[in-house]
Amino acid sequence: MLEIRKLNKIYPGGVHALKDVSFTVEDGEFVVLIGLSGSGKSTLLRSINRLVEPTSGQIIWDGVDITAADHKQLRLIRRNIGMIFQQFNLVKRLSVLTNVLTGRLGYVSQWRSLLNYWSPEEKRQAMLNLERVGIADQAWKRADELSGGQQQRVAIARALMQEPKLILADEPVASLDPATSHSVMKYILELNREDGITVICSLHFLSLAREYGTRIIALRDGRIVFDGKPEEIDDRRFKEIYGEDAVQVEIR
Amino acid sequence: MTQTPDIRRPFSWQRFLRNVVFIVLAIAVYAYGWKVTRIDLKTLITDAGDIKPLVLDLLRPELFTREKQSIRLAVEYPVPCPPEFTPKPATYKGTVLEVKPACGPSNKVRLILRNGRPNTKALVRWHFPIGSDVVVAQARTDDQGNLDLVIARPKPDIGGDEGIHAAEVILEWEEGPVKISNTLRTVADKMVETIFLALMATTFGVIFALPVSFFGARNLMMTTPWGAVTYYVVRLVFNVLRSVETLIWAVIFIVWVGIGPFAGVLALTIHSIAALAKLYSEAIESIDPGPIEAITATGATRLQTIIYAVVPQVIPPFIAFTIYRWDINVRMSTVVGLVGGGGIGYILIQYINLLQYRKAAVAMWAIVIVVSLMDYLSGYVREKIV
Repeated sequence: MLEIRKLNKIYPGGVHALKDVSFTVEDGEFVVLIGLSGSGKSTLLRSINRLVEPTSGQIIWDGVDITAADHKQLRLIRRNIGMIFQQFNLVKRLSVLTNVLTGRLGYVSQWRSLLNYWSPEEKRQAMLNLERVGIADQAWKRADELSGGQQQRVAIARALMQEPKLILADEPVASLDPATSHSVMKYILELNREDGITVICSLHFLSLAREYGTRIIALRDGRIVFDGKPEEIDDRRFKEIYGEDAVQVEIR
Repeated sequence: MTQTPDIRRPFSWQRFLRNVVFIVLAIAVYAYGWKVTRIDLKTLITDAGDIKPLVLDLLRPELFTREKQSIRLAVEYPVPCPPEFTPKPATYKGTVLEVKPACGPSNKVRLILRNGRPNTKALVRWHFPIGSDVVVAQARTDDQGNLDLVIARPKPDIGGDEGIHAAEVILEWEEGPVKISNTLRTVADKMVETIFLALMATTFGVIFALPVSFFGARNLMMTTPWGAVTYYVVRLVFNVLRSVETLIWAVIFIVWVGIGPFAGVLALTIHSIAALAKLYSEAIESIDPGPIEAITATGATRLQTIIYAVVPQVIPPFIAFTIYRWDINVRMSTVVGLVGGGGIGYILIQYINLLQYRKAAVAMWAIVIVVSLMDYLSGYVREKIV
C-alpha cells in the first residue's frame, strides 16, 4: 500500500508544483494521473522515488517512509520501483541487452557492474524479459537503432529486471503514434494484471486513461481535483480538470 | 483607405549621445593602439628588399647535398713596397694566383688566377695586417679555369694601412654523388621527436583530465553543496592553468628540468590538462539527462550511474576532443622548441640565428607538411567519429 500524505513541492524558482496532495493506492491498482501540462503529474511521480525531493509531506510505502530514507535505504527502495519515461531514456549507444541489464544495477555489486560483467543468469533473465515484450531478436542492436515503440518496450523490460512491486510511468506513450501507444499500454496493463504490479501512470489522453485505468486521479495546478472511477468523469468534471476551453479528443 | 505604418524609430537624444561617445572612444582607442604598436606601413614597402634573400633561400631548402671541395690560394701584398721585392705568386697543384701590382699602396688591384678548376665559384677575401679580413668579390672561373679580376683595394676600419696584406681566392665546388643532406636527417629526427612530444603531452593530458573533468561538470556536481564547492574549485584551477600560455610553462619547466624535450612535454601537458578537462566537462554537461534519471531510478549508485548513463554518451566527443588536442599539441610543440623545449623548433631557431636560411627552410617546410597532415587527419577522424 502506498500512502501519500500532504505532499508539497516548491521548486527553487518558487513554482508550487504540488499542493497538499494526499491519496492512497492499494496493491495491484492501475492508477492513471491526468491533468494539463504543468499540473504536477511528473513532479508527483518523481517525488515517489525521490528523483524530485518533496518539500514537505510523507510517502509511506508498505510501512516504510520513503521521504525519510537515507541514501542507502533510498537505493533499496528505488530498485523495487520501476520507472518508464516519455522519452524512453535508454542509453542510446549501448546495446538493447545492456540497457535491459542496467535495470539490475541496484542488485549487483558495484565493482562487478563497473566492469560490465553480468552473470549468465542475469543475461538469461534479460533475454526472457525482452522476449516478453516481443523484441528478443533486437537484443544485440544499439538502442538508438530501434523505433520509438520498440525503445519503450526495452524500457519496460529494463523496469522488469528490477522485479518491481510498483511501476511509475510518466507519459509513457506521449512520444508514440496511436497504434504503438496501444501496444505499449497493453504491455503495461499486462504487468498489472498478470504480475500484480501496482501501476501509477500519467497520460495525456482521457480516452486512454478511461480504457486502461481502474482509477483516475486528476491534478490541476498541483491539487487533486478528481479521484475516482473512470466512468465518473462527465462533461462537468472534464471541464474542471482541463479548463472551460477544452474539447475531448478520442484516441483509438 | 489603408494607412502606411510609421516604421521610423523615434529619435532619442540619449541614444544619439551614447553612439557619439562610443564612436569617439573607439577612435581614441585605435589611434593610441596605432601609436604604441609603432605601426609603420612605409617600411613594409621600402624595406621589402631585405626579405628577398630570406624568401629565396626558403624556396630552396637544403634537402640534398654533395661533398664540398675547395682550394685556397693566398698572395702577400706588402704596403709600402719593400726594397728589392720579388713578387711570389701562390701555387697549388698547378693553379697559380698573382696580384698586380705586387705591392702597394695602390687603389686598384688586379687578381689573376690561372689553371684553376673551370666554371667554379670563386670567393675573394682580403686580409689586413692586423689579422681581420673582408670578402671583396664573388666570381666564377671561365671555361679554361682562369680568372682575371680588378678590385678596389679595401681599407681597414681599424689599424694602419702599412704592413703585410694578403689577397686570398677560394675556389669552391661540389662533387661526388648527391646525398640526403645532414640537415634533412636532423630535421626528420627532430620532427619525429616533435610528434612524439605532442603524443606524450596529449596522453598525459588525457590521463589527468579524464577523471578531473567529471568534477568540473555542472550537471553532475550541482546536486550536493560539497559538489558545488568542488565544481567551482576545479573550474577555477582549470582557468588559471589555461590562462598561462604554453610558452611560459615551457620557460618555467626549462628552469626546472633543463632544456630539452621533457620540458616541452611538461609545458604542453599542463596546458592540455586544463584545455581538455574544460572540453570534457562541457561534453559531460551537454549530455542527455534522461538516461541519468532512468539509471538513478533503478537504484544504481552514483558511480554506476556515471559509468552506465554518462560515459557511453561522452565517449565520441571525448575522442574527438583528444585528437583535436593532439593536433594542437603538434603545432604547439614546434613552437615550444623556440624557447628550448626540444623538438623541431629548437633547431629551427638555431638555423635562423646562424643565418642558415636554407637549412631553416627544411625545418619550416617539414613543419608545414606535418602540421597540415595532422590537421587533415584529425579533421577526417573526427568527422568519422562524431
